[in-house]
Amino acid sequence: MQLVIASGKGGVGKSTVTASLLYLLKDEYRFVAVDADADAPNLDLLLGVEHWEEEKELIGAKVARINTESCIRCGICQERCPYDCIKVIDGDYVVSELTCEGCNVCGLVCPVPGTITLEEVRSGVVRKTTTRYGFPLISAQLDVGRPNSGKLVTEEKEWAKKLMGELGLEHMIVDSAAGIGCQVIASIGGADLTILVAEPTPASLSDVQRAYRVVQHFRQPAYLIINKSDFNPGFTALREWAETEGIPILGEIPYDRAIPRSMSMLKPFVEAFPDSKAADAMREIAERVRKEILK
Amino acid sequence: MQIAVSGGKGGTGKSTVAINMTIALRERYDLVLADLDVEAPNDHLLLGVELANEEPVELFMPRFDYSKCTRCRKCAEVCEEHAIITMRDGTPFLMPNLCSGCAACEIVCQVPGAILPGKKLMGHTYLTETPYGFPLVTGRLLEGEERAMPIVSRAKKRAQALGKELLLVDTAAGTSNTVSKALEDSRLIIAVTEPTPLGIHDGELILRLAKLMDIPAMVVVNRSDLGDVGRVREIAERYGAEVIAEIPYSENIIRSYVEGKPIVLGDYPEAGIFREIASRVVEFLGGGE
Ligand code: SF4
Ligand code: SF4
Ligand code: SF4
Ligand code: SF4
Repeated sequence: MQLVIASGKGGVGKSTVTASLLYLLKDEYRFVAVDADADAPNLDLLLGVEHWEEEKELIGAKVARINTESCIRCGICQERCPYDCIKVIDGDYVVSELTCEGCNVCGLVCPVPGTITLEEVRSGVVRKTTTRYGFPLISAQLDVGRPNSGKLVTEEKEWAKKLMGELGLEHMIVDSAAGIGCQVIASIGGADLTILVAEPTPASLSDVQRAYRVVQHFRQPAYLIINKSDFNPGFTALREWAETEGIPILGEIPYDRAIPRSMSMLKPFVEAFPDSKAADAMREIAERVRKEILK
Repeated sequence: MQIAVSGGKGGTGKSTVAINMTIALRERYDLVLADLDVEAPNDHLLLGVELANEEPVELFMPRFDYSKCTRCRKCAEVCEEHAIITMRDGTPFLMPNLCSGCAACEIVCQVPGAILPGKKLMGHTYLTETPYGFPLVTGRLLEGEERAMPIVSRAKKRAQALGKELLLVDTAAGTSNTVSKALEDSRLIIAVTEPTPLGIHDGELILRLAKLMDIPAMVVVNRSDLGDVGRVREIAERYGAEVIAEIPYSENIIRSYVEGKPIVLGDYPEAGIFREIASRVVEFLGGGE
């Protein structure tokens, strides 16, 4: 089974919840964990990973380059670039590598053949390790200023599938990126179900609703975990929304200083502070995941 | 003139800093705030306003006129997104989700009228008045659409077109090229981070991006009592950036966040921190008129 954990908004505790869930499920299930937030991966840090066993460079991003020697400075490329990535610097037309999307429109419209070339550059790395908890983790790191593409996530999931075959693993648990862009779509697409994590604030509600629409787009079931559930007692709109949509709430985790403290210790909070009230809540959630989802 | 607020990691309080700083700066500058976190724009919620003056962001999307198309496959070959698939006989089909609207296919097609300029809605931009005397421009990607770049670029243009003295940009988290697009043309980047290992890791990436883009950066440490600010200072120093403020974890900030009332306007002691950040910015920019 392929299970995704998503939130729409960053910073609601999705990865800390994921790390603790993985920790609680590790003895009973055989799974591979995937950190699909290639732009800001952090599951490795939360699981105390210190080194990678295997790393693959991901070449695949493309950027345009202009040969200033043959360029006749007509400015057509700059006019036609859909994303305004071409600037004039000291009289030369130059592609800003950190914003170029690699669409090659400039190359197609340039009247001097060979002046603009599309070059393949590294977009990041995909990497694998075995965590100290025994299950493998696939993660990726996008290079600074590269297009944030779903391809990286697809690559990670491919690798995870291969591992599932080799090691006889039953499940893939994917910690998706924040937002609703290409990486999230690549995470949720092809999965069996999504667990949404949200906190009771208007911002988190608005973002989780957007993530839920992506889930609906793929016609998957969704579940909800409410984090920092006692953080904003007057705010009932999150629960009401889940009820109206018929999204089962797997559990609620109260705000607990044990969580940020465990992050500094680079350990899942259920391991670092097993007696905290957040850990109690998390164990109940894991129990429901066992009974209702993984069975 | 433009400055940007960015933070490697989501949820570090980047928007809180952006909003409070903007409010503190409004007396010195005629300004506009642009929320370019188009996958999860929240500044309007923090400011307690409803998005207004919606404008669609529509992109080119090819439509094929099969009575004219010669099935030469050129359009499919040129599409970097592999959004056009061809049947065995060369008939092109579009997979709309993958299309980025770049129009490269239309440029190469040699048969007039075989590709018609269809349109697809990618998201919206908004221009909202706030009760604080400055407008907010927001970009918002449509759910199910993958490409944030066109929305970032359009929202930024809409904000620039207002011709204000100062444009404050609130970027998405991370360091992908949509963040570079938002940062582009900034005189200064305020990088918001946390002193946790995660925050430090992601904060370093944003400083690296700032360096690559040759934009000076200043660091604001949020939830500064959560970890080791010394580590943040070390890293900031390595990138030639200075830590200009430490914001401790604060119930007051959470309360003001939840109530949609910017803290800088109240009497809580935390208000002073944001005013101090604003004055450092003014100092850097050489004072407002
Ligand atoms: S490849 Fe596309 S995005 Fe890059 S500079 Fe050329 S036209 Fe612009
Ligand atoms: S279109 Fe070609 S020749 Fe014209 S300015 Fe651009 S690179 Fe130079
Ligand atoms: S390039 Fe034009 S003529 Fe050729 S297959 Fe595409 S649409 Fe048809
Ligand atoms: S507009 Fe660009 S991305 Fe879309 S089909 Fe044409 S070439 Fe491909």
